[in-house]
Amino acid sequence: MKKLVRIRRVFQLFFLVLFIYILWSTTYPLTGLLPPETFFKINPIVMVMTALSGRIMLAGLSAGLAMIVLTLLFGRFFCGWVCPLGTMIDITARLARRDRWGRSMRTGKARLIKFGILFLVFIAGLAGIQAAWVLDPMVIMARFVSLNLIPAATQALDSVFVFAMTTLGMRETLIDAYRWLKESFLGIQPHFFAHAGGLFLFFALIIGSSALAPRFWCRCVCPLGALYALAAKAAWMRRLVDICRHCTLCIPRCRMGAIREDMTYDKGECILCMDCVYDCPQHATRFGIVPRLREKEPEHRTGISRRSFLLLLGLSLAALGRRVFAAASPPAGTPAGSGIIRPPGASGEEAFLDRCVRCGNCMKVCPTNGLQPLMLEEGLEGLWTPRLVPEIGYCEYLCTLCGEVCPTGALRRLDVEQKKRTRLGLAVVDRSLCIAWAHGQECLVCEEHCPVAEKAIKVVEHRGPSGVVVGAPVVDPNLCVGCGICQNKCPSRPDRAIRVFPY
Amino acid sequence: MEQPQSFFNRRVTRRGFLKLLGALAVTLPAWSLAGRHARAGETNARPKKGIRGDHDLVVAEGADPYATTVKAVEALGGMGRFVSKGATVVIKPNIGWDRTPAQAANTHPEVVAALIDLCLGAGAGRVNVFDATCNDARRCYDNSGIREAAEAHGASVYFTNDWDAVKARFAYESPMEGWPIVRDAVACDTFINVPVLKHHGLTRLTIAMKNLMGVCTGSRGTIHQGIGRKLVDLTDFISPELTVVDATRVLLRNGPQGGNLADVERRDTVLASTDPVLADAYACSLVGVDPGELPNLVAAKARRFGLSDLARADIAHVA
Repeated sequence: MKKLVRIRRVFQLFFLVLFIYILWSTTYPLTGLLPPETFFKINPIVMVMTALSGRIMLAGLSAGLAMIVLTLLFGRFFCGWVCPLGTMIDITARLARRDRWGRSMRTGKARLIKFGILFLVFIAGLAGIQAAWVLDPMVIMARFVSLNLIPAATQALDSVFVFAMTTLGMRETLIDAYRWLKESFLGIQPHFFAHAGGLFLFFALIIGSSALAPRFWCRCVCPLGALYALAAKAAWMRRLVDICRHCTLCIPRCRMGAIREDMTYDKGECILCMDCVYDCPQHATRFGIVPRLREKEPEHRTGISRRSFLLLLGLSLAALGRRVFAAASPPAGTPAGSGIIRPPGASGEEAFLDRCVRCGNCMKVCPTNGLQPLMLEEGLEGLWTPRLVPEIGYCEYLCTLCGEVCPTGALRRLDVEQKKRTRLGLAVVDRSLCIAWAHGQECLVCEEHCPVAEKAIKVVEHRGPSGVVVGAPVVDPNLCVGCGICQNKCPSRPDRAIRVFPY
Repeated sequence: MEQPQSFFNRRVTRRGFLKLLGALAVTLPAWSLAGRHARAGETNARPKKGIRGDHDLVVAEGADPYATTVKAVEALGGMGRFVSKGATVVIKPNIGWDRTPAQAANTHPEVVAALIDLCLGAGAGRVNVFDATCNDARRCYDNSGIREAAEAHGASVYFTNDWDAVKARFAYESPMEGWPIVRDAVACDTFINVPVLKHHGLTRLTIAMKNLMGVCTGSRGTIHQGIGRKLVDLTDFISPELTVVDATRVLLRNGPQGGNLADVERRDTVLASTDPVLADAYACSLVGVDPGELPNLVAAKARRFGLSDLARADIAHVA
């Protein structure tokens, strides 16, 4: 029974699996059925706010706007039927047996918080600051899947196979299956990400907030939910109660707390989960498309007051003015003033931060695992943005994947010829550590791996301490692109004798 | 009051605890010893079969890499000499770099394809093709064209895994002692080394002996210190039954990766030999390099390993 609820769950699971599949297939050679940025393109917060803060027209902006139009017709169907974070919240609540507990919890005015967050994001966008990423559900879910879930799952499965083949001695039986798995969904090496614990903690807090009230995140915090709530006020899809005996059973059971004491409901809060259809003992609750109701709904002042709206408008204009004023003065500081190497195709630090939504796609796709999330090395505004860590993985010379999967163009799409000319930094030989320079031993591993066709690392003759003449590396700054393969492969330990510095 | 006894709330008695300790003392050393069959001083190198060809070295010339490779192996005595029925064969080309066949940094896919056909024609049970690459393995396997060609001709192509290696043990003192070697490269009936001749910054040229670095896993950068001696020991450890050198086109400068087609010249030559040292020494002459410039050939000569004196070798030319 509960046919509509079951259909909803099937949709939720389908989109959750699709979401994970898309990120899973965000890897070389990028032959997934759907483009890696699919879920971001249909996300109006990410697309509109980035377009706003970056002052650009983004390709695929229309998909986000189409979602708003759909919400104008059908209400917050996205939150109840599509959103993978919402599905994760529903699943964990059910596993924790909290899906029916605490539903009487009233969130009251706390639900207004999400509108405040949405306006802050909007104002920040007007001022040219990208803030959509902080609390956007799609971004949060993508980071969890790409940087926590998939690495943990692949590492665990890989370990089980390796344990069975080494310690249990089942190599002959399993090796072919293992090789097939590695080429299909295990990937040739499990990725690791710095600070994955911090990322997971953030995600776990959001999931755990359901302990306060069911779907607390969706009720009170989510800025995408807030945007859809505003649009859903006008929705044609309505909850229709044919016979109501005011038993009030549906009120505490509504996971969004959308049904009021007077038995009316807040269309902006309803996510069409269809629970109330079956909670109603009269079997008289249904949903239907009705463009206009005959009698007017009673006024409910739950939205934003006129005074606050004007205040917010004034604030945003002030912020705009500040931005225009600031543009006249020179940009503050050099881009990447610290030791951060950005991925290829990142244009100037400020423009990059305006566009990057920290979705983790570039880090997921990087074939060498060299792209890692920053913590606070670049301040709060650099949180979870990608950096190249050559000692973990270098930038593959002919690879252009990170630009191809970036949903907002924070990393530009480069063709291979452009990529070969893209500089990330400059390699510097530390002659006090270099095996050839300091010890007079043959090495030249850096020169061997240098991918530039004319070799950005040149060999000069050097007479070492023992009197033997060996070839020693010298970097040609005009040719070096800073890919970091020399640093990655340098055998000097514990510190590499050739390192890439931001250019 | 008597507590119900179950597995979890059983009281630990002194006798029980001592029994447990005793059991562990017996099983743990047995467990850890179970996987170690070999004793010190015993090598786990591939056995030397001592198969000779009709000549020491065959130099085949021709514009078509596939046909030239077939000619070279036929003139050496045919693949049947090296591959027995049902044998597991490893073909180890150079797939080290993310480069196209025309850029000459990897073995020509048609040379690999010809060898696979010859092996399967001789009755090989299974032909494995792999290399521990320098660039991202998937890009190397794809862009070298070797995966596509090898799979089309019936070989199994796969990536190496660092955990799936054996530690090399030598009967003599060696700087390569304990180095992890890809397990399948050691545990095979026939090993065919298929290098590409090209320029190299450290060893002047990289040919057959240097190509064997591709069966080593681990942090290979340290092999570069004292590389001559290490390559000799590695070659001795693997002892390939057959060496086929791809010199159809040669990267003359900016090796071993290249990337610039102006650095590539055609030589239309394939070498086949049972002696990797002789193959290296002869390949030098194709590009006018003195074998004395290659540290591995210097070390081989000093150790009297292989035949590096071309004047004493039986070299056949086929065109």
